Amino acid sequence: MNRGIAVELDSFRLANFGNQMPCLICEEGNMLDADTCRNCYAPMILAHQAQSQSTPPVMFAALGPSGVGKTVYLGMLLDMLSRQPKQLQLSARGGFSVTLQQNTLAALARLEFPNKTPNEPDRWNWVHCQLRSPKHRHPVELVLPDIAGEALFEEVDHPRSYRVIHSMLSRCDGVLVLIDGTKLQSGSLDEDYFTMKLLSHLSELPKDPKSNWSNRPVALIFSKADQCESCFDDPAGYAQRHAPGLWRVCQQRFRKHRFFAAGVAGACATRTLRGGGLQSVPLRIEPRGIVEPFEWLVENLRT
Amino acid sequence: MRSVNLLEWMFALIGPVGLACGSVLMKFPEWLGGAFSTSYVAAFSKKAEPAEGGVETTAEDPAEQAPEWPTDAGSVQSLVDEMLKQSRYALLLRPQLVENLTVDQLIRTRAALSDGMCLVPEGQVVLHRGAGICDGDGESAAHGSVPVYVLAFYLDRYPVTNAQFHDFVASGGYEQMAIWDQEILPALLDFVDQTGHPGPRYWHNGRYPRGENNHPVVGVSWYEAAAFSRWAGKRLVTDAEWIKAGSWPVALEGHPLLQRRYPWGEAMDRSRANLWGSGPGRTVSVDQFPGGVSVGGVQQLIGNVWEWTADAFSLENSDGSAGLEKTHFKSLRGGAFDTYLDTQATCHFQSGDRAMARKHNIGFRSAINLGDLIKRDNGYEVVPSQPVEPSLAETQK
Repeated sequence: MNRGIAVELDSFRLANFGNQMPCLICEEGNMLDADTCRNCYAPMILAHQAQSQSTPPVMFAALGPSGVGKTVYLGMLLDMLSRQPKQLQLSARGGFSVTLQQNTLAALARLEFPNKTPNEPDRWNWVHCQLRSPKHRHPVELVLPDIAGEALFEEVDHPRSYRVIHSMLSRCDGVLVLIDGTKLQSGSLDEDYFTMKLLSHLSELPKDPKSNWSNRPVALIFSKADQCESCFDDPAGYAQRHAPGLWRVCQQRFRKHRFFAAGVAGACATRTLRGGGLQSVPLRIEPRGIVEPFEWLVENLRT
Repeated sequence: MRSVNLLEWMFALIGPVGLACGSVLMKFPEWLGGAFSTSYVAAFSKKAEPAEGGVETTAEDPAEQAPEWPTDAGSVQSLVDEMLKQSRYALLLRPQLVENLTVDQLIRTRAALSDGMCLVPEGQVVLHRGAGICDGDGESAAHGSVPVYVLAFYLDRYPVTNAQFHDFVASGGYEQMAIWDQEILPALLDFVDQTGHPGPRYWHNGRYPRGENNHPVVGVSWYEAAAFSRWAGKRLVTDAEWIKAGSWPVALEGHPLLQRRYPWGEAMDRSRANLWGSGPGRTVSVDQFPGGVSVGGVQQLIGNVWEWTADAFSLENSDGSAGLEKTHFKSLRGGAFDTYLDTQATCHFQSGDRAMARKHNIGFRSAINLGDLIKRDNGYEVVPSQPVEPSLAETQK
C-alpha cells in the first residue's frame, strides 16, 4: 500500500535560486537570497515585497543638501501619518520601514537631531509602506529612501557615481526638495545654487517625453521655517525674494511645482559641548507644514 | 480729600506696580494740577483705531464694547469700576488702595479675585536642573534636583485671553513706558500687529480675530507679557510657582516630595489637554478641556499655549556647566496645541525661546504674592453689598 509523503524537491529550490531577481531600483539581476543589490546596494527586500503586488510601487524621494533636514522631515512625516486616523495614512510594510521614524523620534525626544545619514547606500534607511488616500480607491505601495545629501550632490556633480541615486531619480514619481530657509534668509546663495543644480540635473535625466520631469510633481519645501516664520506666510513669495534663480528654473522647467514651508522644532538653541564644539538643540517638537507637501505630491500623482 | 489720599499712596508705591497705578491716575490731569505734560496724557489715552476691512470682532465680543474711560473724571468710583471691568482687581486689593473702596466694591473685587485666580499654598517644590535635557525615555535627566521654597501666591485660573489683552492695548498699554522693561524701550515700536498697530502679532487693526475673545492671547513677546502683568497689578509667574501649581507637591515624612507629572495625575490623558492630535490643531477657548484642571483649580496648564515664565531658560551639561550659547532665552512651560511628544507636555518639562519671539503658540498667565494683597483679617470686614457710598474707610470710622 502506498503512502503519500511530502518530500522537498531541492532541485527545484536550487533552480529557483538560479533565477535572477531584478532589483526594484536599478532592475539589475541579483541572486534570490541577496540582501542588497550587487549593482546599486538598494535593499533587495523591496524587490521581494514588490513582486507580491500586482502593481509596481510609487516612488518618492526627499532631496537636498546635507544638513537641510531630510531625515527629520521624513521621520516626522512617517510618524505623523502612521499615528493618526486621518484621510492620508501610511502603514509600514516590514520592520525595516519603521526604523527611520523610530530613530528620528527617539533623537528628537532626547532634544537632539538625528545623526547624519552615512554616504554608503547600504546604510541608508528605506521605507516601504502602504498609502491610503481619498484619491485612490485601493492602497498604493510607496517606497521612500532617506538619501544622504553628500552622496546626492556627488551624483549631481559626477553622474552615475551613485547608481542607486541615478536609478532612483529616473524612476521617481515625485520629489520633495528641501531648502534651508534660514540660510536663504541670512543671505547665503549656496542653497539657491545647490537646488538649481539639483533641479537642472533632474530635468536633464533621460526619460520618454510623456513622463519626463517637467510633468512630474516637485514639492519645494523651505525647511527650518520655525526659525524664519515669514516662510509660512507666503512660501512662493519667499522663494522669489530669496532664491530668484531657483524660482526661475522652476517656472521654466517644471510644470507641476509648488513651494511649501515646514518646521519640526518650535525653537532651536546652540549648545556648547564640553569638548568645545557647538550643537544645535531642538527645544521642543511641534511639527508644522510637514504633511501638506506630501499630500500635494499624492494628489498630483499620475494615475 | 480722597483724591489727595489716592495721590499719596500712589507716590508711596515703589516699583512698577506703583507706576502702573500712577499711570491710571494720570487720566485725570486736573487732579495733578498740570504737573504732567498734556502730550503724555494724550499719548496715554490713545486707543486702538477702529478696524477697517481687516479682521473684525463680533458684536458680543468685549472688544466691541471696549469700555470708555469715565467722563466724570473726578469720580474714583468710576475709575474703580473701570479697573474691575479690566480685570485689574489685583491693583485694587493692594493695602494702599483698598481704603478707597466702598464695601460693595471690595466685595466685587474679592469676587473678581476668586473668579480669576487660584490660591496656591506655600511649600517646597523640586526643580530639575537642566530640565530641558531629556534622557532615554524623554523625561528630565535631572542632573541634580533643586528644592525650592515657594511662598503662597495667587495664579491666574486661565491663561490671559485676547479680550483681556485688548483692554491693555485699548488703554494705551504700549505707550505707558513705566510698565515696560527699560531695555526693551527702543524695540517697543516693533511690537505691532499685521496692520502696524500696537498689539499682538496676529491681530489686525488692533483687534483680535473674530470669535477668539476667550482664546489665549498669542503672538506676544516675553516683554509684552511682563508689561501686561504689571499693568494688571501682577507679575509673570516663576518656574517654581508654575510647577508647584501644576504638580501640587505633597511632602510625606521620610519620603521624597511627591510631584505629579501632569496636573491630573501620573499618566498622559490627551482628552484633558489641547495637544497635537487631541484638539483642532489651533488654540481653543481657555475654558475648554476642563478635565485638565489642577488640584488647586488652575485650568489649561498643559496644552493650548506655551506659557512664558519670569525665569531665564538654561541648558546645562551633565557637569553643571552652562550649555547654552549666551542668548536672551526665557523659560516656557506647559506645551501647546501643536506639541507632539507627550514627554514635552508635562509639569516638569522646560522649553525656551528668545524673549523677543512672538509666536503663534506662546501665551502667558500672571501671578501675585498672597502677601502683597490685603488679608481678610486685617481689620476690614466684608459685609453684604450696600449702596456705593460711603466708602469702606468711612464705614470703619
